[in-house]
Formats: sequence, C-alpha cells, structure tokens
Amino acid sequence: MVTVLLVVLGFFAGLLGALTGIGGGVLLTPILALHFGIPIRQAIGTSLVAVITTSAASSSVHLQRHTTDIRLGMTLELATALGAAVMAYLVGYFNRNALEGLFAAFLLYSAIMILARGGKVKEGHPAPMANGETAIPPYQPKRYPLGMAASLVAGALSGLLGIGGGPIKVPVMFIFMNVPLMVATATSNFMIGVTAAASAIVYYRRGDILVQYAAPLAVGVFLGSLLGARLAPRVHTKVVVYLLVGVMFYLAGNLILHLMRGML
Amino acid sequence: MSEMREPAFDRTVAWVLRIGAFSCFFVMLAGLMAGLFIQGPIPLQIERAGVLLMLATPVVRVLVACFLFFQEKDWKYGWISFGVLLILMLGVVFGVGEH
Repeated sequence: MVTVLLVVLGFFAGLLGALTGIGGGVLLTPILALHFGIPIRQAIGTSLVAVITTSAASSSVHLQRHTTDIRLGMTLELATALGAAVMAYLVGYFNRNALEGLFAAFLLYSAIMILARGGKVKEGHPAPMANGETAIPPYQPKRYPLGMAASLVAGALSGLLGIGGGPIKVPVMFIFMNVPLMVATATSNFMIGVTAAASAIVYYRRGDILVQYAAPLAVGVFLGSLLGARLAPRVHTKVVVYLLVGVMFYLAGNLILHLMRGML
Repeated sequence: MSEMREPAFDRTVAWVLRIGAFSCFFVMLAGLMAGLFIQGPIPLQIERAGVLLMLATPVVRVLVACFLFFQEKDWKYGWISFGVLLILMLGVVFGVGEH
C-alpha cells in the first residue's frame, strides 16, 4: 500500500516539476521526512534518485533541441560535482536538527523568491525553427572563475540538501557568464544529473538511500515528468506555481514544528 | 567554442540519458511488480539494481562525452570530462560508512 502511495506521490512531484520547473526533490524530501517518518538524511538521499531521474528525462529533450552547451556544462561540473561529493561526505557529521532547520530555511527562501518574482520560475521556450532546432544567438561564455565558484556553491548545496541548485546556476550563467537564458536553463538541467549522482553515490555508500522508497518514487517521477512535458504548453502554470508555493510554506512550517517538538 | 553546435554529439549524449532513464524505469517497475507476487528479498534486489542503474547513468554520460571529445581530438574538454569522471569515482572508491 505504501508502495502505491509512493508511486502516486512521485507521479505528482514529476508532473509538477515538469510543469513549473520547481524540482521534485524540494517537495519529496520534506514529505518523506514528515509523513513517512524517514530521518531527514535518508529522505535527502532517497529523493536524490528522483532528482537524477528527472534530469535524465528532461535533459535528453533539451539536448535534442540543441540548446545545451555540453562543453560549458562539463567545465562547470568539475566544480558542482566536487562541491556535491565533498558536502555529501560532510553531511554524515551533521546533526539531524541542523539539517531539518537548513531545509526549512531553504524551502521558505525558495517560496518567497518565487512570490517576489510574481510566480515566474521559468522562461517560455521560444518556437523552434522549421527543422526542429531552436535559434540561438552566438555567444562566448565569460568570467569562468566566477562561474566555477558559483557552481561549487550550487554543488555543495545539492550535496547538503539533495536539490538541483538551478536557482544559483541559471542566473550566474545568464547574468555574469554571457550565456543566453535558454542555454543557461538547459545546461543547468543537464548538470543536475551529474551533480546529484556525485552526492548520491556517497549517500548510497553510507546507506542513506532507502531502495524500497526510492524505486516506487522514481517510477512515479518518470511517468509524471513524461506527462508534464506533454501538458506544459497547454496548462496555465501560474495557478500551479502558486499552489506549489502554498505546499512549500506548509511543508516548511511543519518541518519547523517537527523540529521544535523534537527539541522539547 | 561554445557557439559550435554539434547535432551528432548532442544526439549521442541524449541517447545515453534516454536509454538510462527508460531502462531504470522498466527495471524498477519489474521490481515493484515482482513485489506483488513474490515474497522474500528478490523484488528488493531488482529495485536496487534499478536504483544503481540510475546512479550509473550520469557516470556513463560523462564517460561517453569524454570518449567523444578525445575522438574529436578536443583534448581540453576530453581531460575536463576525465576530471569530472575522477570526481564521480571519489565516492565509489572511498568507503564512506555509517557515521
């Protein structure tokens, strides 16, 4: 019964992720921790598997539109993977309350940032040309040291909380590295798989990925993101985004309550 | 470098990711289905294989890109990919037990 529930949960996380661009890991980790009684570290490790699934499914679509800069992505991955692997290792020494507190803070921050931007999380995809490819203006990435430093931070955040780090990488590539937004989004998505894998391998070796939860979640996420990618052009995402923001506030509040109850 | 578009390169890497995602999905689904009919550790072992396949997919993606860069004699990005591969292997090589 729990398995069916997990498939359904993964399905909605994948669907919402594909519709809004808000990664499934952000929702799955607190739900696993709060409603399935899984310690937060295992919840993070388990939802990392769903994050890799989403990245593999969605970046294969971006790659076929030729909007991913593989060379730039690979270069920045040196930093994200290193940050993720090292931080995933250090998380083993974190105490559970600190981790829950950090996650709640991250949820609140993300939800407020989305509200501040008026519910916009992702840019619209420009119409593809007749041959199915997308027109991209010529560009030359700049300021690699800054990009690498930001990627290291994004990677560390990913290893710490099991999230993709897109909200850091996309603006850095777009604003500071002179990369078109469309390419920045696709490349960030492309990098998430490797970044999440770098930390997931460490989590797995430590026994922090619960296979009996990860497998049904990933099955659901895969189906949900396939459907979401098809529905995306036809759905009014703003309503969905505000719904998600509500869920994020609810989860953050419950995490804080859970934390306070644990401390009493 | 970056304005260079190589459709064949993109397509190969996309295929790796797609095959990885689809095969993991079917292996995990098989594990879940087996759980309905079989008692004992076998269903969980099938699910574990699916999870490990998912963790391996990004590693294979880097390996394939590394190979393609070297094949194109693009040494710089070949070595960068190799570096990413080494970092991914850190977690595999160093035993990180329960703290």
